[in-house]
Amino acid sequence: MIDVMDDLARLTADSPLGKLRRERPDVVKHLQGSDDVIFSPADDGGLMRTERAAAALRIAELLRDDALVAHYRARLSALDPSGALAKTVKGDARTEGRWDAILAHVDLVTREPGSAERKDIDDLLTAGLSSHAIVSLSQLIAYVNFQSRVLAGLRMLRDAK
Amino acid sequence: MNKPMRDFTHGELQWLPWITPVDLDSATPEQLAALKVTPSNRAVGAYSLVLAHDPEALGERSPLYNGIMFGQKGLPRAERELGAVAASRVNGCAYCASVHALRFSQLTKQPEVMERIQAHGVDAALEPRLKAILDYSAKLTRDPAAVTAADAAPLRAQGLTDLEILDLTHAVAMFAWANRLMQTLGAPADPAQPGRAL
Repeated sequence: MIDVMDDLARLTADSPLGKLRRERPDVVKHLQGSDDVIFSPADDGGLMRTERAAAALRIAELLRDDALVAHYRARLSALDPSGALAKTVKGDARTEGRWDAILAHVDLVTREPGSAERKDIDDLLTAGLSSHAIVSLSQLIAYVNFQSRVLAGLRMLRDAK
Repeated sequence: MNKPMRDFTHGELQWLPWITPVDLDSATPEQLAALKVTPSNRAVGAYSLVLAHDPEALGERSPLYNGIMFGQKGLPRAERELGAVAASRVNGCAYCASVHALRFSQLTKQPEVMERIQAHGVDAALEPRLKAILDYSAKLTRDPAAVTAADAAPLRAQGLTDLEILDLTHAVAMFAWANRLMQTLGAPADPAQPGRAL
């Protein structure tokens, strides 16, 4: 059975790299497990699944990863067929304060994690996010950044002669 | 970006959260399970208590981290630590870089490697195998979209197997994750001046 990383890197489970990945069963299991709870949590803490997919799409765009963009675009489209949230991800449309604050944090933590300050968290609290939602958002941003590096390494190994 | 590494070896590092941590006495069963808190083990730091606000994510991330950094065979542990140091330097997490530099030095008994990285960052001159690891780690951290099949060649030329390269990739990627949590949900405090952020 293939998982999210096989799918993104276009691997089959019995390909050489698919087999190599499975020499790290804990990594395979808990990477997929992280993906599941980050995008489909039992308790979303106030950060909705549509928002999670849209935030991930924004990160994929920032990282210029076409496969990751397509992946999160499809996920968002399935959750929000109207396409309303997808339009805000490009950053051209100003949105309401809460979503603006979320997108600003997505950009900051993806691009310049070392320049985050206490004020950046305070802005999210002011915008109405709970502690749970802020930690969920932080885990999501960090996870998609992780995922893009794993994917880049898998593609490198897949294509290297 | 290349902040100097600090020596945190003389005292337990404090981390000052910007979100009120979960209070152990009122934590939910899910939070306690994710923290692996038991009646005999209540020693949990502020960082984990902040992450416990989302117990589902914490519960998956902890075993993932352990699998990546401590999984048997494959890339030697010290070289995973080197990947962690490179990522942390590029991401500007001086605290993370220092902690993992110390682990590298303890594992290898080669303090001069981390002294060089301390002085010259990810451009430090190292013996060829470590240099190949450092270069790939820095590039993968900085711009994953720029990594191509050609980047495998220097690693393979230094004898890294594909499993070792996969292990290195996982370690570097894990610090794209860890550095972001550590630096954006709070700040490491200076052990010499408790209560004061670095």
